[in-house]
Amino acid sequence: MHGGHEAAEITAAGIGKAYGDFHALSDISLTIGSGEFLTLLGPSGSGKSTFLMILAGFEEPTSGKLHKDGLDITRVPAEKRAFGMVFQGYALFPHMTVEQNIAFPLKVQKRSARDIKRRVDDMIARVGLRGHEHKRPAGLSGGQQQRVALARALVFEPSVLLLDEPFSALDKNLRGAMQEEVRRLHQETGTTFVFVTHDQSEALALSTRIGIFNQGRLQQIGTPKDVYERPANRFVAEFLGDVNFLSLSSVKPTDDGAEGLFEGRPMRISAPGQAISAQFAIRPEHMVLFEQAPRDGNMLQATIGDVTYLGAETRFSLKTPGGIDLVLQMPTREVTGAFAPGRSVWAGWPANQGFFL
Amino acid sequence: MMKPSPIAVVLAFAVAVFLLLPLIAVIPVSFTPARFLSMPTGIWSLRHYQALIDNPAWLQATGLSIRIGILSSGIATLLALMFSLGIWMFRPWFSGLLFGFVLLPMVAPPVVSAITLYFFLIGLSKINSIVAYDTWIGVAIAHAVMIAPFAVVMVTVSLSQVDRRIDLAARGFGASVGQRVFKVILPTIRFGVLTAFFLSFVLSWEEIGVTLFITSIDAVTLPRMMWMGLRDNIDPAIAAISVILIVVVISAVLIKTAIAQREKM
Amino acid sequence: MTLDRLKPVLLLGPLVLFLGLAYFVPFLGVMQWSVTLPEPGIGQYGKAISDPLIHSVFLRTFRICLIVTVASVVCAYAITYVWVRGTPLQRLLTELCILIPFWISVLTRAFGWVALLSNRGLLNTWMQSLGIISEPLTMVRNEFGVVLGMTHFLIPFAVFPIASAMRSLDERVFLAARGMGASQMRTFWTIFVPITLPGILGAGLMVFVFALGFFITPAILGGGRSVMIAELIYLRIFQSPDWGLGAAVSVLLMVFVGVLLALLVRFVRPNRMLG
Repeated sequence: MHGGHEAAEITAAGIGKAYGDFHALSDISLTIGSGEFLTLLGPSGSGKSTFLMILAGFEEPTSGKLHKDGLDITRVPAEKRAFGMVFQGYALFPHMTVEQNIAFPLKVQKRSARDIKRRVDDMIARVGLRGHEHKRPAGLSGGQQQRVALARALVFEPSVLLLDEPFSALDKNLRGAMQEEVRRLHQETGTTFVFVTHDQSEALALSTRIGIFNQGRLQQIGTPKDVYERPANRFVAEFLGDVNFLSLSSVKPTDDGAEGLFEGRPMRISAPGQAISAQFAIRPEHMVLFEQAPRDGNMLQATIGDVTYLGAETRFSLKTPGGIDLVLQMPTREVTGAFAPGRSVWAGWPANQGFFL
Repeated sequence: MMKPSPIAVVLAFAVAVFLLLPLIAVIPVSFTPARFLSMPTGIWSLRHYQALIDNPAWLQATGLSIRIGILSSGIATLLALMFSLGIWMFRPWFSGLLFGFVLLPMVAPPVVSAITLYFFLIGLSKINSIVAYDTWIGVAIAHAVMIAPFAVVMVTVSLSQVDRRIDLAARGFGASVGQRVFKVILPTIRFGVLTAFFLSFVLSWEEIGVTLFITSIDAVTLPRMMWMGLRDNIDPAIAAISVILIVVVISAVLIKTAIAQREKM
Repeated sequence: MTLDRLKPVLLLGPLVLFLGLAYFVPFLGVMQWSVTLPEPGIGQYGKAISDPLIHSVFLRTFRICLIVTVASVVCAYAITYVWVRGTPLQRLLTELCILIPFWISVLTRAFGWVALLSNRGLLNTWMQSLGIISEPLTMVRNEFGVVLGMTHFLIPFAVFPIASAMRSLDERVFLAARGMGASQMRTFWTIFVPITLPGILGAGLMVFVFALGFFITPAILGGGRSVMIAELIYLRIFQSPDWGLGAAVSVLLMVFVGVLLALLVRFVRPNRMLG
């Protein structure tokens, strides 16, 4: 390991990008901490890739400022920023060997031949490409190409590494292995990583923080646990996973949350620091099925519709007496014969689960 | 896969015969013994081929065509390469307009281009005698004008197959415009550029529509020489030179096809 | 920074400058004669439109170009179909028959037709010696010869857009059609031809535009008898110095070509044809 990586802190203030009347990005303000692994998550067309292109310097924002360690880099072109970048589809140079690809950034920087050789060798060893040095990209598997792209982007010890949907072309098993690899490289190098994806589980698994984009706006930024369990709005809640919405009546604030009625049944919700509203939301896996009414916690009665076996988990669609459809998911090993379609059951959850929207 | 029916194959075969017929017809005519263009009578002779060798004008015309072809396709390919790279790398907002402008000589009727280039070279003749009417450099410049659009199309097509992200990657690693061009883009499109050069050369080699107007007695290219022999009393040497050109083309196409077939296997 | 801004200009500039000086400026110079010679005004356009001789040349040109376009596209479609979808041997043979004529110069090809079809050409000599005909048939130095020569020249050009349309189509469509019980003939006419229609239109427009400007083939195979627009322009400018009228006819031809090219770009997207 060569500890030469100087991680950088990047601050975006009011970044916007407009193409004529179309606003691809509006007013994005965030700080990417030094050594952080920040994921930009959103559906396609949400502006996350545009924001990455602005971070990389390939696009200039139409408004706002970008700072790196306090220096204004808004108008600095990509060539002068020297951020590492891993592209979707890898963008390896097809006419160069693995070694030449990885050496390219160092050659551009006019490093000495010895230095180049040492760093390239080291990088090849670190990403496990020994024995493939003289192959061209076309002769490599998808996972190997991915490793070359990572090695090429990290070899010159950039202060920031940008990754644009790097795993989208890989099959599921390989994807898991590469995620491990990226996480390891992040820990080893300590570089600031900015990662763009549309895959929620990937984002939740890898990041120290996640910024969620929709329609050109930053919806929320926070730790995976924050954004999943305390989403700022309905879009974030639904984008990160399934969610059930319960409309409460007679909502009253309490010491640590609120009380209200759902279909006449009292609910007590502990949600310190959250804005109270009549719209309560709970994720399917945060509820558990019971044959009898549980002694404590929140609960509601429901009839089982479909039962879908998913392997480790089983998914139930439920209908409340008031006609509201709900989804519930629980570990398969906890499912008993009593939880069959048509049966009347109880769904319960602790008071500290769920959130207001 | 839907295979062509026998009817389709017969029709295609008929078209193929139609395409080859005039090329085949030239062969027997080139081996006749008479001084004028005549039909084969059973007596074979190489006298028309001999005439090609005896008359130094044919060799000179061939040499001139090669010289003009190399100069004009060199100019056209180089300028077209720079132009296409500029469009591809910088994508100016007015690139559509620029394309229309540089493709004009290709889409304008050849006779209009020929008149344009005639008056252009006549104008130049008044101020110099190197790039002028009926000089080889003048013809090469005119050919370069006519073939540059084709070179632009060829290079642009091969650039359009390059993954733009490899250029972005090079930029991201700090590469300058020169490094991007010479280390990343050119190596990936080198076959396209070579093809553009080759096509440009062939187009110049065969060019007659414009050449006819801008040459008279000094800069006689091979097509110009053939044209003179074709107009009034047909010179049977035309048959001989045609057979030679056909043989060259067939060999080139067969070699290319053989290479392509081998690569497939 | 200023050097960076200059780089696009350094790359784009040379060709634009070269074509500007060597082509565009003299081109405008010739075109402006149409409104300045022999006297300023649009009189030459009036003459070009009303002159019965020019009229008949335009009509003949359109007629010939139309026949040539239909003939080349039909022939090209037939050979391309086998080139794209035939057995490997059929593909190889058709490819050779397309590529060899394509690379052979217009002069050689026109001369081939003269050798084959002239009064004392191969075909007439052969038919006379067999006693099929007593007098030679006139097949060149007339409109028939021009149409034949132009069609022959243009077939390979029509092949490429059609081939690209035939290659880009989804094979599963045929499986679907056959799965629904359509016969091969029916599949061809109701599915294959309509799907490849953009290629047919593209080829047709391209061939028509090419044909409009033809000069060499008509000059050799038409024998001065069926004058087309290009030859008319040549005669006006070089034989009977009537530069204004020649330029006016050129402008009309350019406008016509421009409209056809705009149609081509609009309906067939040539970037797809080229790729």
